[in-house]
Amino acid sequence: MKLAKSAALAALLASTMLAPAWAQDLTIGRSSEQSSIDPQFSRTGNNQMTSTMFFDRLVNFDQNLQISAGLAVSWENDDPTTWTLHLREGVTFHDGSPFTADDVIFSLERADEVPNSPAPYTDMVSSLESMEKIDDLTVKIITNVPNPALLESIGRVFIVSKAATEGKASEDFATGAAIGTGPYVFDEWKPGETLTMHAYDGYWGEQPEFKDVEIRYISNDAARVAALLSGAVDVIDAVPPQDVQRLDGGEGTHVVSEASGRVIYLGLSMRFDQAPGVTDLNGAELAENPFKDPKVRKAISLMIDRDLIVDRILGGSGVPAGQLVPEVLGGYNPEIGYDTPDVAKAKELLTEAGYPEGFGLTVYSSNDRFPGDSDLAQALGQMLSRGGLKVNGVEALPYSVYSKAASAGDYGAFVFSLGSSTPTSAPNLQSLLHTYDKEAGKGAFNRARFASEAFDAALDEALQEFDEDTRLAKLRDATKIAFDQTPIVPLYWQKVHWGLKDGLDIEAGLSEQTLPQNVSSTK
Amino acid sequence: MTVFILRRVLQAILVLAITSLIVFLGVYAIGDPLEILLPADATMAERAQVAASLHLDQPLPLQYLNFVSSALQGDFGRSFVYNRPALEVIFERLPATLELVTTSLVLSLVIGLPLGLWAGMKPGSLTDESVMTGSILGFSLPNFWQGMMLIMIFSVWLGWLPSTGRGDTGTVLGLHTSYATWDGFVHLLLPALNLAMAQIALVIRLTRTGVQETMPLDFVKYARARGLSERRILFVHVLKTILIPIVTVLGIEFGSLIAFAVVTETIFAWPGVGKLIIDSINMLDRPVVVAYILVIVTMFILINLIVDVLYSLLDPRIRSRA
Repeated sequence: MKLAKSAALAALLASTMLAPAWAQDLTIGRSSEQSSIDPQFSRTGNNQMTSTMFFDRLVNFDQNLQISAGLAVSWENDDPTTWTLHLREGVTFHDGSPFTADDVIFSLERADEVPNSPAPYTDMVSSLESMEKIDDLTVKIITNVPNPALLESIGRVFIVSKAATEGKASEDFATGAAIGTGPYVFDEWKPGETLTMHAYDGYWGEQPEFKDVEIRYISNDAARVAALLSGAVDVIDAVPPQDVQRLDGGEGTHVVSEASGRVIYLGLSMRFDQAPGVTDLNGAELAENPFKDPKVRKAISLMIDRDLIVDRILGGSGVPAGQLVPEVLGGYNPEIGYDTPDVAKAKELLTEAGYPEGFGLTVYSSNDRFPGDSDLAQALGQMLSRGGLKVNGVEALPYSVYSKAASAGDYGAFVFSLGSSTPTSAPNLQSLLHTYDKEAGKGAFNRARFASEAFDAALDEALQEFDEDTRLAKLRDATKIAFDQTPIVPLYWQKVHWGLKDGLDIEAGLSEQTLPQNVSSTK
Repeated sequence: MTVFILRRVLQAILVLAITSLIVFLGVYAIGDPLEILLPADATMAERAQVAASLHLDQPLPLQYLNFVSSALQGDFGRSFVYNRPALEVIFERLPATLELVTTSLVLSLVIGLPLGLWAGMKPGSLTDESVMTGSILGFSLPNFWQGMMLIMIFSVWLGWLPSTGRGDTGTVLGLHTSYATWDGFVHLLLPALNLAMAQIALVIRLTRTGVQETMPLDFVKYARARGLSERRILFVHVLKTILIPIVTVLGIEFGSLIAFAVVTETIFAWPGVGKLIIDSINMLDRPVVVAYILVIVTMFILINLIVDVLYSLLDPRIRSRA
């Protein structure tokens, strides 16, 4: 009797909990949350991902970050600093008003003026000198310097409605100002909990398959996996590498994996005359900085077994890297492979550099930035000591502490990562490898302070080139010049995983975005 | 009583001032918010722009002075991450946590008290042994693991209860609460139970010890001699006496549950303050961290005050001393 009662209660509970789940066509469990609905507030990955659901840009970035016509259908140069943009006809905002040149000019002007933005779009619009509306669907742009990659820059800015946005603050976007032209209309954001939306009937592009969508923020890895297994959500992102096999072989779920544009590398600091953490064999500080010698850097790269790292530490969730950007991005140089371990050759190089017996060093790393970062540092330590160096220790710290110290130059050998968010390698080459120059704003993330005049010249030349193919060829050449000197030790490109219910598929890509418009059913 | 409360308020202000300074310096010492907030391809011009707009380019003493002067006017600054007033961000999440913590405290009393009384009345019996062994599990199994097991059993295998989020909330007397809808209520069950586990064990142990200590006392014998029923002795006279330590402990626990419900909130994706503070620390969102700690300190001070007042209501001896 008691049993029957509890069974009835259980059935009641089960029926009531399932009901609301059916109200949505698609529920996505997402690991990270945006900080605002204002698409111009911050250009971190999380915010761009959310903005892409509600807003469009002048160009579309495909899964490999390559650009195609978006709100602008075509563009041409009249001279190196004058551009004419032709806008798409018949596009309407979610409130029904037509999209015009005024909205474009307003959005580009607003991009670097959003108050208190922690990650502004300033650089995207920094080359704009003036904009002029020719007619409702034509905009003339004058740039202050010749900028061949103009559309790749201003194309990253989301276009907002002038009428709905003028005079509004970022927080007003969550309460009615989020009027875009994108495939979904914003319904509600409950911070820390959910984001709901419905498909926009008047969308100019392809209608998304799922009309009503709910996104739930589940930051804990295990909880997100459990939510997919229990059927509470249909799709999850950022599946931890150790759960990939379980979800992929599991009942009713499968995994979609993609190589991302995020490269994990070992930086060898050439900043000071002595490298922090580098010692002689007795533990005393070394008088000179061995990392200034390209032979030493190459030797270290030759000690590392990238295949082993990918296979054992990451469970296959990586692709061995020998340069900054992966194959699908512009500027990737197929002639540069990745170093395979060659201890004898490494020893030879060390001897030539004057360190026949090696030297001592400490490997520094974050421990919460990307999956397996502290394990990676341990493995690197072992590989370097097998290669003939004396590893004094491995130190892994939380990213909030680590990032500041790394930028301040406190580490000699340090693990870091850099994501790609542009069609070509140019911005990454410029911020990571260009000689550090505070005035010119170049080499902003060149923490290792690699400096090569030949590379700088080659890169600057590529950045000035208007012809697309020539520009990519020049980027490839510049990459070759830099990597012949091992400016950093690239390790691997991260792979990212999505877990889905059977019967669903997601078009995933380098951008690592989890967008409802890219989910489709396979049945 | 008035003097007592006044003294407490003065102490509280001092504590708040010192805490704000320590936390402010602490967050500054951890790292640079710009490193976390800026995207990897940010240029130096963007960096300078952000530093200026968030006032991170000022010297630290000046930053602190600015903070104090606006805090005195009730403005605790704007979150670096959300660009909204820090207090608003915190109070938006606080109701969810309060609801979770209150529910779990009620659960711990409803489950813990009877079990503790039962075990205390029959020391050494099979009942006592099994209740006590069970309570060891409540204490010693990691909270995180318990949560995962609850999800595995009730959500994944049985499929009875939802495991993430708060579900539909309704409005009762102007408050958003999960109690207003059935969906909200079932969403509350697993996280509240997870949070209550250790408290249940604590209440059981406190009650059992209390009962065992009180039963042999003279007043119980006199009560028996007066012919009072065993039930009345236990539930009125004995219970009243043993409630004092339980109220003290639960009062303190209430504070720490609110401040540190983070494990449960993270596992069950509960949109409360615990999760907010961990995210804010990771993002070095200093205004939120500082404001949060100050709110929590204030809360602890208030709870202690309430506990002291409750004592005097429960135990007349304390009242006469005060």
